[in-house]
Amino acid sequence: MSHIVTCENLVVTYRASNGPVRALDGVDLTISEGETLAIVGESGSGKSTLGMAMGRLLPAEAEREDGRMDVAGQPVFDIAANDLRELRRDLLGFVFQNPMVALDPTMRIGRQMQRAMGRRAGSEEIHALLERAELDDPARVAKSFPHQLSGGMAQRVVIAMASARTPRLLIADEPTASLDASIRDKVMGTLCRLRAESGASLVILSHDVHMIARHADRVAVMYGGRIVEQGPTGRVLDAPVHPYTRALLKAAAGHEKPGDWLTPIPGTPPLLSARCAACSFEPRCTVSEENCHTTRPEPREVEGREVLCLLAGTQTEPKEAAR
Amino acid sequence: MFSILWRLDRLSRFGLGLLIFLILLGLVGPHLPLGDPMRIGAGPRLTPPSWQFPFGTDELGRSFLPRVVDGIRATFLLSAVAVIITAVIGTLLGMVSGFFGGFADQLVARGADILFAFPAILAGLLIAAVMGPGQISAIAVISVATLPLFIRVVRAVTLGLASRGFIVAAQVAGASPWRVMMVHILPNIIGAVIVQLTYALSIGMIIESALSFLGLGVQPPYASLGSLLRQGSAYLTFAPWLVLSSGAVLSAAIMSVNLTGDAVRDALEPLKGRSLT
Amino acid sequence: MRILFYFLPKLAVAAITMLGVSALVFLSLRMIPGGYADVLLGPFVTPEAREAIAVRYGLDQPLLIQYLNWLGALFQGDLGVSMVTRAPVLDEFLRRAPVTLELALLALIVALAGGLPLGILAGIAPPDHRGGLLARLVGALGASVPDFVLGSLLIFVFSVWSLWLRVGGYVGPIEDPVGNLRVMLLPALTLSLFGIALVLRTTRDAVLRVMTEGHITTALARGERPIDIVRLHVLRNAAIPVVTVVTTYFGFLLGGAVVVEVLFSIPGIGFFIFSGLENRDYAIVQAGVLIAAAVFITINMLADLAYALIDPRVGSGRH
Repeated sequence: MSHIVTCENLVVTYRASNGPVRALDGVDLTISEGETLAIVGESGSGKSTLGMAMGRLLPAEAEREDGRMDVAGQPVFDIAANDLRELRRDLLGFVFQNPMVALDPTMRIGRQMQRAMGRRAGSEEIHALLERAELDDPARVAKSFPHQLSGGMAQRVVIAMASARTPRLLIADEPTASLDASIRDKVMGTLCRLRAESGASLVILSHDVHMIARHADRVAVMYGGRIVEQGPTGRVLDAPVHPYTRALLKAAAGHEKPGDWLTPIPGTPPLLSARCAACSFEPRCTVSEENCHTTRPEPREVEGREVLCLLAGTQTEPKEAAR
Repeated sequence: MFSILWRLDRLSRFGLGLLIFLILLGLVGPHLPLGDPMRIGAGPRLTPPSWQFPFGTDELGRSFLPRVVDGIRATFLLSAVAVIITAVIGTLLGMVSGFFGGFADQLVARGADILFAFPAILAGLLIAAVMGPGQISAIAVISVATLPLFIRVVRAVTLGLASRGFIVAAQVAGASPWRVMMVHILPNIIGAVIVQLTYALSIGMIIESALSFLGLGVQPPYASLGSLLRQGSAYLTFAPWLVLSSGAVLSAAIMSVNLTGDAVRDALEPLKGRSLT
Repeated sequence: MRILFYFLPKLAVAAITMLGVSALVFLSLRMIPGGYADVLLGPFVTPEAREAIAVRYGLDQPLLIQYLNWLGALFQGDLGVSMVTRAPVLDEFLRRAPVTLELALLALIVALAGGLPLGILAGIAPPDHRGGLLARLVGALGASVPDFVLGSLLIFVFSVWSLWLRVGGYVGPIEDPVGNLRVMLLPALTLSLFGIALVLRTTRDAVLRVMTEGHITTALARGERPIDIVRLHVLRNAAIPVVTVVTTYFGFLLGGAVVVEVLFSIPGIGFFIFSGLENRDYAIVQAGVLIAAAVFITINMLADLAYALIDPRVGSGRH
């Protein structure tokens, strides 16, 4: 099986006025051709940084400190600006969280679509692509400015733009988080349909566990700039092994039965300034032991998935924290 | 607060250092052994710069350096007094306007529009016609020119704050409007006010010196940097040091304020930019 | 339609502003110490002459009536007569307006030609690039050297080494186009330094702000070349603050750059207003301030119109 993304020990830090912030603390990840991977985590977990790093679209104050990120066989942090541009144009497609911010407010949609599709694209091709993204009146949409569209329509435009050149990798950063709840599923459905038609791989960055359960083949859970658990969606979500994954699933609203409780995770995610020498979840963990505080966990294969927890697999079932 | 100092880049540190140096020079200048700024005939008339008279002498044989040092103090003091008074008035008006909205807001905003429509120097001519030339007129002109800047900025920031949760919460909890403005809004707009203050100070210094240059500001025997330039410009071709020295010091003074303002703004609201690759 | 609904309130606000300006200007002249009659006739007047003047100019009526009469005259183009030459003030201003207009246009062209490219370059230069520091230095310097300091310096330099350019001795552009340029170039350059700094700083800040906006990331993500990103996405989105300061600057120039016109003996409206003050010919000062403010308000209204053309969101009620 060939890999569209290979990420090895990737470390990214942001220069901030009060010292560096380590957003990625050594990420190892591979994504296969055609698969849909969901990266889950709270805000601040590093999932957006990881997603943007796939196109080297990080802000100016971000710096790759260590490791590598290969996309379609090219090391994105080490290639020339021209090659990077071609990679982004031909092989990658990005869908951002807020379509109103992602579209140029002063340019008509049709013109922006044309920029994405290439100079030769005429209005017929533009309309056809908009129609494929399930926009009802493509001629009117093409003539509009972004502010004249609803959020859902604008996000469909962004999805159409991202798939304009039949990319091999689509990266969607919270693609439905800014939309009305009533249309989230439909927009997500459009994104997944277009992906299926082109056979591209899809990376969804999200904190919405239930949306992911429906669409992703595989799940990677991020915490403190590392992937703490990754494996097939069913296995990870139905039988989480890492204490953080369990906590995350308990905290997620949506599918609880009457009488069930939602349990928020106490504390806040860490803000790392250097390589974490322990388990970064240890301060919030309810089952941690002595050496969690002193040993940096390395990925291990446990119950058909990769886990970053010293205790995983050593106990038959880690004790549930008392309510 | 002081940690900001260490993060300043070279240009900002240079500006801040220059500003502090010039203010100190203006303050302690009279006690420095620079010579008497008022003593006529301290040396020959219109002598070029020398060790004894570093900035040369003027047409009455007065040493020019102590006169310039005096001028620094006058220029800073006059502009600062005008701008600080204006800042207080402008901040209050802007807060009332943004917080209460409605008729009060219309009144203040239109008033700011009206003042803003007067070109500063022309307003200076009009005010000089009404009040006669002098320091009070100069302060009035600076106020007219900079009041709209404060009102507009404060009003805009207050409008943005007025709908924020903590302001609404304070009102719901029964705090009086005055208390909400002073305790909750003022601390949140003080940064914007300080940035405007530095820019207004630089505008004020330009206006003051321009008015004095036209003979409408500080009147003899007192001198500001602008009136020294006016005095020197009569001898521009054969005693250029008068104009060059006072002009250079005036420009340096305004630049130190501008650079400090840039540094304050960069610290409060950094503009990062990004690379296009 | 969008633009009309957006523009009509702006027009109303401009009218209100103009009314306020006129009231202030009217009051200010009535407040001149010694009163109107003293100004007209000098301090040594008999009570009878004072009375006669008061009746002739309607000074015996309530202030509001006086103001309305004065306003009515304004609408018919009657800005009063010069107290010194007895000529209609409006004619005097119209005669001098082309000189100031030429100076303002020259200064504006130089300011844009210098400030825009430098500001854009400083804005798109990668962070920590040396060009950014240079732009800040030029910006700080230009905003800090007052026009009369730079003008005096230029006069000194060019009176020692003539270098083709001339100081003083104004000739009109129609009689002698080359001679006119020789006279106008130095004052225009003097005025433009502040403009260069203003345009540079504003453009740089606006470009830097746009560069961090999401749609620039989108453009990068679809593999656009830097030049296309700047051309298609940065410039238009950064234009509004630049238009604002450029119109303010131009309005200030058109109001008569008093100091520079006086310094270089350019017979424009700024010089005229200043000499009006020196001759205690306050009708000229009054009319000059009124005209300058009117021009300023008009220019700013045009800027409002430009915003609506630049940004389709302006006036749409949504942001």
